[in-house]
Amino acid sequence: MVCERALQLFGLACVASVLQAGYENNNHVVIAPQDPVIEIGTNFTATCVIIDTAEVTADDLYWKLSQTVIPKELYTKINSSALNVTVLITNEKPEWLFCHSKKSSHYISMNNGRFIHGIWLKKSYRPESPKNLSCEALQEGKLISTTISCKWEAVGRHTEDAPRTYTAFLKMYIKDETLNVSTPKNSVQVNVGLYPNYFPLEFWVQSHTLLGTLESEHLIKEANCFVKTNPPLDVRAISEAGFPTSLLVNWTNPIDESYVKLKYKIRFCPIGSQIWSYVPPEDTINPTKPFRLQVLQPYTVYVIQVAAKPVGTKDEPDCGYWSNWSSNKTARTPEDRPSSPPDLWKTVDSNSHDVQLLCKDPEFANGNITAFNMRMKYSKNGNLEQERISVNADRGSNQKMASLLKKISLEGKEFVNVCVSAVNSAGKSPETCLAIKRNPNDREPTVKEINIWPRNGQLFVEWKHNSTCVFEYVIEWVGNGEMDWQRENKTTRQTAIKGALERFVCYKVSVYPIYRKDKGIGKPASKEAFLEQGAPLNGPSVKSESEYDHVILTWDETPQHLRRGFITNYTIFYENEEVIKSVTVPANTTSYKLESLMGNTHYDVWIQASTIAGSTNGSRHSFVTQKYAPRMVVGIVVGVSFGFLFLVLLAFLFCIYKKDVIKENLWPQIPNPSESTIGNWSPDYPLKAETPKENCVSGVYVLDEGMCEVKHGFEEDKTSLSLKKDKYLSEEHSSGIGGSSCMSSPRQSVSDSDEGADMADTTASTVQYSSVVASSGYKGQTPIEQPQHSIFSRSESTQPLLDSEENPDMLVQEGGRAFHSPFTRSAENQETADPGSFKQMEVDQQDFCPIDEDTEWTPSDSQSANVEPGSVSSYRPQLGGYRPQNTPTE
Amino acid sequence: MNGHVKKMHFQQFLETAAKLLYFLLLLAVDSKRSVAASRNHQCGKDLQMTLSLTKLVRKETAALTKEYIASQGEGFQQGFCKASVSGIPDPNISGLEPSERIASIYTQLQAFLSHLKHVQEQQGNLQPLKSPLLVDLSNVMERSKMLALRVKAFYSRLFPNLPLPEPAGGPTTLPPPQTIFQQKVYGCVVLTTYKKFLMNISICRERTTLKSKVCGTRRPKKCDDLL
Repeated sequence: MVCERALQLFGLACVASVLQAGYENNNHVVIAPQDPVIEIGTNFTATCVIIDTAEVTADDLYWKLSQTVIPKELYTKINSSALNVTVLITNEKPEWLFCHSKKSSHYISMNNGRFIHGIWLKKSYRPESPKNLSCEALQEGKLISTTISCKWEAVGRHTEDAPRTYTAFLKMYIKDETLNVSTPKNSVQVNVGLYPNYFPLEFWVQSHTLLGTLESEHLIKEANCFVKTNPPLDVRAISEAGFPTSLLVNWTNPIDESYVKLKYKIRFCPIGSQIWSYVPPEDTINPTKPFRLQVLQPYTVYVIQVAAKPVGTKDEPDCGYWSNWSSNKTARTPEDRPSSPPDLWKTVDSNSHDVQLLCKDPEFANGNITAFNMRMKYSKNGNLEQERISVNADRGSNQKMASLLKKISLEGKEFVNVCVSAVNSAGKSPETCLAIKRNPNDREPTVKEINIWPRNGQLFVEWKHNSTCVFEYVIEWVGNGEMDWQRENKTTRQTAIKGALERFVCYKVSVYPIYRKDKGIGKPASKEAFLEQGAPLNGPSVKSESEYDHVILTWDETPQHLRRGFITNYTIFYENEEVIKSVTVPANTTSYKLESLMGNTHYDVWIQASTIAGSTNGSRHSFVTQKYAPRMVVGIVVGVSFGFLFLVLLAFLFCIYKKDVIKENLWPQIPNPSESTIGNWSPDYPLKAETPKENCVSGVYVLDEGMCEVKHGFEEDKTSLSLKKDKYLSEEHSSGIGGSSCMSSPRQSVSDSDEGADMADTTASTVQYSSVVASSGYKGQTPIEQPQHSIFSRSESTQPLLDSEENPDMLVQEGGRAFHSPFTRSAENQETADPGSFKQMEVDQQDFCPIDEDTEWTPSDSQSANVEPGSVSSYRPQLGGYRPQNTPTE
Repeated sequence: MNGHVKKMHFQQFLETAAKLLYFLLLLAVDSKRSVAASRNHQCGKDLQMTLSLTKLVRKETAALTKEYIASQGEGFQQGFCKASVSGIPDPNISGLEPSERIASIYTQLQAFLSHLKHVQEQQGNLQPLKSPLLVDLSNVMERSKMLALRVKAFYSRLFPNLPLPEPAGGPTTLPPPQTIFQQKVYGCVVLTTYKKFLMNISICRERTTLKSKVCGTRRPKKCDDLL
């Protein structure tokens, strides 16, 4: 300890004496060491020495690293004029280390710069030895390149401010010369001139940092052991007839052997395969050319590649680098007779007993199969029969496609045993047999619990079967209209389907056991599966039958080829202008009743078909719910009907209870003409003696066509009419129209009775009774169209006129109602009329006849003019029009 | 203890000493064999490298000769290369002992190098500057120098105490000034003779002799095993 302290003081004295000389006229504080390079991650100690001043002591000093004051704990006071600091260098960036004086005095203030001193700390990592040196000289034309590329693995760290550099050395023994190249990278290219074949080369690298240099191990090899040649040229593969399992391979050396002696490696694989087979290396160290590849498959195209590498020595067995593989060379081995039996299978037409026999080429066809020799043995009607046929294997270029051998019928056959062998140009294969029975063997247990799942782009099948009699299993799959199969041995319970399956196609996979006995086919187990499921291509199209508050939707099941997966469910979406709602229904549903809809509302509906992989919407369908529900219509109809019935009932009741009132209003009492005083009227009766009002006797009967009998009756019995005489007598004074002579005008009387569309009918069937007292009663009548069979009867009732007749206004009001009533007065008249009166009418007919059918009764002015002026005042105008006539009894 | 007993002890001592001596001799012989084997192995390796390089130079010289004849113009025929030109080194290897023969090879290589350099200068005047012939000629010269160095190193390793003798006739004598045709013929004769010389080095007999006598290894079954 004492020794150490003494050494430190001695060193410090030396530093101080040296610094004193250098900084005598400058700084009063000086840091030692002056230009340090510090290893990152280590402690660095610096000393600040006070020179040539007593203004400050070591206690007045402090340290700063860049802008940070270093804590006092890291200081070590050497003496009153020297202060140490020790800091751990962790930062890679170079920085300043300052020594300051904190004391203030006039002198220090005036010479502030002399009391500060700083040093620039350079930082670096220690160099480390480069590892894994390697050099490579590539072939260039017929020679080896004059440039050697060398590289090494950089070890250790360096900083941006103090980067690591390398110096690569290449010693060429031939010239006793060492080439060197400096680089910051970890690779270098060295030009050696003419490549020194058969001379050693020595390569090594020095790594430099600020803290020193470290050298790598030396790589010494014969120059050819750095060579990487081009791949062999012109690789050829030759097949020899009679040697179906071998190919001759030849090639040209990439470089003359006098430069580099090469060894080779050969690899080959059947075309399309990615698994290479390598010729054992010991066979190709010094290969005899051409080299014979052996144990190949007959009639198989092989891809062959060759690579070269310098031959090593005993000292350096691993010499140089393998060249790249040569370009592919393909060749086909010659044909050989098929070494395995063909693959025989069948398809059965489910609708009949027809069986199609299919056959694939043998696994080891060893050539192009040209035909299949088939022999069949079957029991027909209890007799064993045999058949031999040869089928040309004409499948075009697709050798893997199955050939249809024959279509046979099992009708009448218990079983058919089929044995087939394949033939190529080199010979015939072993036979394979299959027994097809009309009724599969039921005694053996069936295959069960078949399970199928996709994985890594393949479909895997698993099944269970407890039978010891199984020879093998046939896995059959049918999808997209195509069928294929593969065979598995009897111990297999799980396998992957080897066929090229398509995505989004539903495959029905069946597992058939083939039993040892006669190669009989057992009952299969089947299941459907997809290699990969997708969203359906199309959603279903929907049809609707809409009602008031619900709709019945129907749609067709999505066709199999559009499903692309198992339909998990259908989702029905329906929307009106406000909301979208949805209902999910199971996959086996093809109709659904949407309820709680709003009436008279437009809806859009579509159905989404879903699989586990996605969903697809079908086309939109629109419908409008009905305005009324059927029960509403029924309700309305029933309500209206009941209302109508109620009204009718009311009217009926009204009629019943107010019978008298109605009768009084609608059917006023019509005086009986027979009792009328006018019956005693005679031409001699002084017209002027009676007022027109008193003489106005009118009555109107309106008869419809149904009353023709009545009219005829009138016509026939008009002779019995009592008014015959009167009419005759009053011929010159009566107009004869339906209106009463008391009417102010005939027109008025007609119009009153002419409401409604059946004016002609009513008028045609109208029988008017009018009391014509004087010819002046026709005055003012306007001509009107008269019905064809109108009969005008004149009442000669002696009964006094009704009040209504006396009150023309009242008659006008009630005339309309009277006209509409279905009067049958004519019948009554017919029954009640006095036959004598009819006779009288017949007499009157000659002068008082009805108007011709086609003649419009239009009283002319002359007629009016013929009316005596004095008669006008003798009758009161009959305003009531065609008033219904009461029964004569009244 | 009587004299008989003393005699028995002495005999036992002699037997032990004899055994010890025997083992020491075996150890020495074995050590010598190991050293010899190691030396022979390195010798064989050097010889193999030298012969391989000789073969390479011979191959390049043969190609160069063909190219040389083709580059001398249409009238230049291969027969001209068989002409007798004075001053060209003998292609045969002289000497009886391996050391003499190796020294002869080295000396003749040096002589041929001088002639090749002369041919290079002459063809430099006759051929275009970047003629492939000049490039290949330069390569053959460079490779021949390497061969000479390797032979020298091989000799020095085998016979470290025998300095390589100087050429018998002093420095190589180059031909006097010649016509262009004479230059062409001269160059071709030099190349052809040089090729013969290299062939003589590479012949099986020479190789096997060197292999067996110099490096002390068994004769190889085939000459190619040496290369």
